Amino acid sequence: MHGRIVLAVSAVVMCATAPILPAFTLTLLTEALIFGLFAMSLDLMVGYTRLYSFGHAAAYGLGAYSTALLLIHFGLPLPIGILAGVAVSVVIAVPIAWVCTRSTGVSFAMLTLAFAQLGYAMLYRFKEFTGGSDGIGGIPRPAGPFGLDFFQGKIGYFYVVVFCLTASFFLCTVLITSPFGAVLAGIRENETKMRALGYNTRAYKIAVVVVAYGLGSLAGALYTPFAGFVAPELFFWLVSGRVLIMVVVGGAGTLIGPIIGGVFFVMLEHQLSEVTELWPLVFGAIFIAFVMLAPEGIWGLLTRYVRAMLPAPRGEAGQEASSAAS
Amino acid sequence: MNVAGFLVAQSLNALSQAAILFFIACGLTLIFGIMRIINFAHGSLFMLGAYVGYSTVAWTGSFWPSLIIAPLVVGMIGGTFEKLLLARLYARRDSGAYLMVTFGLAIILAETIRLTWGPQPLSIPIPDRLRGIVLISNQPFPIYRLFLIGMGSAAAVLTWQFLERTRAGLLVRAVSQNAEMVHALGTDVNAVRTGVFALGCAMAALGGVLSAPLMTAFLGMGSNVIIDGFVIVIIGGMGSFLGSIIGSVLVGFVQVFGSYYFEDLALAMMYLLMLAILIVRPGGMLGKEE
Amino acid sequence: MKESTQTRLSRRSLFRAASGAAAMLASPALLRVAAAATPIKVGIPTVITGGYAVLGSHVMRTCKLVDKMMGGKGVLGRPIEFLYRDTQGNPADCVRKSQELVERDDCRLITGVVVSSEARAIMPKLAEWKAFFISHGCGDGLLTTKEFLVPNFFRANTSAPMGARTLALYLKDAPEQNFIALGSDYAWGRSSVGAFEEQIKAVGKKLVDKVFTPVGNKDYSTYITKLIQSGAQGCYLALQGDEARSFFLQATQYELPKRLRLFTEIVAQADIRTFGKDAIGMVGSSRYAFTYDVPENKKFTEAFLAEYKEIPDWTDGEMYQALHILFAAIEKADSVEADKLVAAMENLEVSSVKGPILMRQCDHQGENQGFVVKVAASSKYPEPIPEIVKIYPREMITPDCLSTSYKTTG
Repeated sequence: MHGRIVLAVSAVVMCATAPILPAFTLTLLTEALIFGLFAMSLDLMVGYTRLYSFGHAAAYGLGAYSTALLLIHFGLPLPIGILAGVAVSVVIAVPIAWVCTRSTGVSFAMLTLAFAQLGYAMLYRFKEFTGGSDGIGGIPRPAGPFGLDFFQGKIGYFYVVVFCLTASFFLCTVLITSPFGAVLAGIRENETKMRALGYNTRAYKIAVVVVAYGLGSLAGALYTPFAGFVAPELFFWLVSGRVLIMVVVGGAGTLIGPIIGGVFFVMLEHQLSEVTELWPLVFGAIFIAFVMLAPEGIWGLLTRYVRAMLPAPRGEAGQEASSAAS
Repeated sequence: MNVAGFLVAQSLNALSQAAILFFIACGLTLIFGIMRIINFAHGSLFMLGAYVGYSTVAWTGSFWPSLIIAPLVVGMIGGTFEKLLLARLYARRDSGAYLMVTFGLAIILAETIRLTWGPQPLSIPIPDRLRGIVLISNQPFPIYRLFLIGMGSAAAVLTWQFLERTRAGLLVRAVSQNAEMVHALGTDVNAVRTGVFALGCAMAALGGVLSAPLMTAFLGMGSNVIIDGFVIVIIGGMGSFLGSIIGSVLVGFVQVFGSYYFEDLALAMMYLLMLAILIVRPGGMLGKEE
Repeated sequence: MKESTQTRLSRRSLFRAASGAAAMLASPALLRVAAAATPIKVGIPTVITGGYAVLGSHVMRTCKLVDKMMGGKGVLGRPIEFLYRDTQGNPADCVRKSQELVERDDCRLITGVVVSSEARAIMPKLAEWKAFFISHGCGDGLLTTKEFLVPNFFRANTSAPMGARTLALYLKDAPEQNFIALGSDYAWGRSSVGAFEEQIKAVGKKLVDKVFTPVGNKDYSTYITKLIQSGAQGCYLALQGDEARSFFLQATQYELPKRLRLFTEIVAQADIRTFGKDAIGMVGSSRYAFTYDVPENKKFTEAFLAEYKEIPDWTDGEMYQALHILFAAIEKADSVEADKLVAAMENLEVSSVKGPILMRQCDHQGENQGFVVKVAASSKYPEPIPEIVKIYPREMITPDCLSTSYKTTG
């Protein structure tokens, strides 16, 4: 509930201040939001269905490369290019989801990793097409249909990213609060029981994986015109590891938590790497600390802190406060 | 070009690569068998072994002590990590948590190595007794690589004997099949876990020391090799010791012959093989289904 | 009453936390703005960590030496400020760090980029950034062809085709007839091997095969066996950094140099130091030879040896040359604006550590001489050194405009 409010308010504030922010902050924020979207997409799998994936970079990479190739070779207008890139990725995600969901737990994670690494290897195999280790550069931001071109500029593109993030968030919220979401929760808690109750849990898992890949590929598709450059590193397992960190540290199973995790880490990484050589160490330590001590993540901690502070006259927190007051 | 000579030479190359891979895969699979976790830090531990090996050589002036000291030191570090952090997660029954904590360790280890030893690659010279080549089927093959094949085979045999013939090995196998039962019978299962984790780390470290004379100890050693490790463990079967041997040899051959014939496809072939096997048998060839 | 105190406290603490977070996120930027605004900023997005880190460390040490040699005087009366950033050799990171340099640090002069793929990634963005990029060491021949060249890009260094050409001309008189080539599978390696193939055929010899190894590859056993069994008499190598080192270490273990002669497009002092005696006899084209006897090089080498007690490597020399040319252009243009620098650098001729260099107008390639070196034992230095065995004039070595080929055979 609070998540929706926080997101809506932040979105409005960011859009309002965008014209006055310094250029570099805007660039950093755009990238941070793209990663936030990427992290949120993984949360559907990890947080809501307990499907740990170590190959989510595949979604990102698929979206990024599809969009890159479509924009360069077909000169599609930007919004069409992005949507087409997502469409291609979703189509490819279906067989991936089908194969991966044959297993559970660690096997599932390893399968997702295998597909991501396979994607990585394929980029090298078809290097005439994909540029191999050199990647593809000079990707344009072609003006849209009906002469729309506001997104060719930095601020305009930022608005596009905010819009996509907000829209995806609300799509996910609808999904989670629907009966579909309830089944996912059931699968997360006890898949055997759900199957015993007659649900085709495999189909639900395939569906959530495809949606997660779809939104992840949207993040990748947004990244391509932003950076103007794609490289095979986008598929590498370290990217998958990073986004998983963002989900866990942000707060799995909350949608807003991973977005915060994603934004927090992109900004932290930039600032820390300027200040100290030790930032990966700090990064790793923070990660382990969260897993061991605060599995509910930043969002979980924030909500606990806020709830403890505010004297809301409802729920146990309210009763504590009012009993303390009297 | 002599076909027999070619086959022999490249097969030996493949076996020497398989030997190094085995040190990583064996540890990974033993740890999985006992704890049902995939240790993401395995690559970094391999790298740590190489660096500790370098320091040992620098300190003692000889290669041979590093073969004992590096695995010992890294094994102890691994065991400590398991006791302090991983052990606390068992109660949680959340497989995701292990993946992530070991991933965090991988990052921290890699950085610590960089801060301690610096960014330059460090070389370990081949000991004099192992220099030079032998001619096999009229093809030159370095003696050091023969040594690697020998060490790998010895390690495989010793581990096999340990698992099959010793009481400790029996406990390890029992815990991997049914930890609760073994606990009920009075054995300290936690100690077994710590021991196996330490052993797995020690083996990875030994692999690291042995590969350093070939390619120097360098940063990034870990992240390259961890993926190979996963592929092998999955192909051979998670938790299956025999599978780790078969997987290592298979991957060694695929890499060597694959990159010879299909330069571009070599990388992809390994993952295709991994996928193919996982599709047919989700637990890997000889593995226990998860 | 307690409730309202709690409310006030909670709001205040929330506000404090929020402003604290914002301050933490903004602080490095504020600190930077407070620093002096007059220096000329030169951005160095280079490889500080990664497989090619040795090359990045050379870039940085030469920049620091130049800084010292200038003694704070700088150019146009303004001191030079070098901004170092770590790209890890990753093109995407190079784009990011360069964009940071332009947008956050207001730095529009870029050099010190190590990997050719990184150059390819940032060149399309130079116009948008209004930034100027001079290459000190990117070898991919395609960078100065129509496909990739952009107005704000210049290359001061010897390119891969130029290195290949130098070696091929030298090998025309060598006893070996059949060659095989091995290169790293990315922009520079492919360019180098491709150029060698063309040039060795042009001098009437044969290339039996060409092999590309994956970037970051460590175990060369398969490829070494392939080289041994190819029947070639000579092998052309286009490898750098960790790859070059691993390859050579393993090749020596297979006793490969006894079976075929190794020739390399790049001769690195760092590698010679690692191999020690095993390196003696190695022949290659050198992008920079520290023994080249011209006044500018004497000055540079002496200062370098005094400061670092080490022989300057090829990257050191090329980096010095690039900075020399950049600063000369800034003086001539009396500005650091990209358009003015472009006009000033075209047709600029400089007496550099490698001899006279002309920055061509047609494709922004610096015309460099070609050096062939042979590694020999030295009584003067503690390690073997590359001795110059032949020098080719720049007109013979620099390819045709906007091309990687040569109309003349030489």
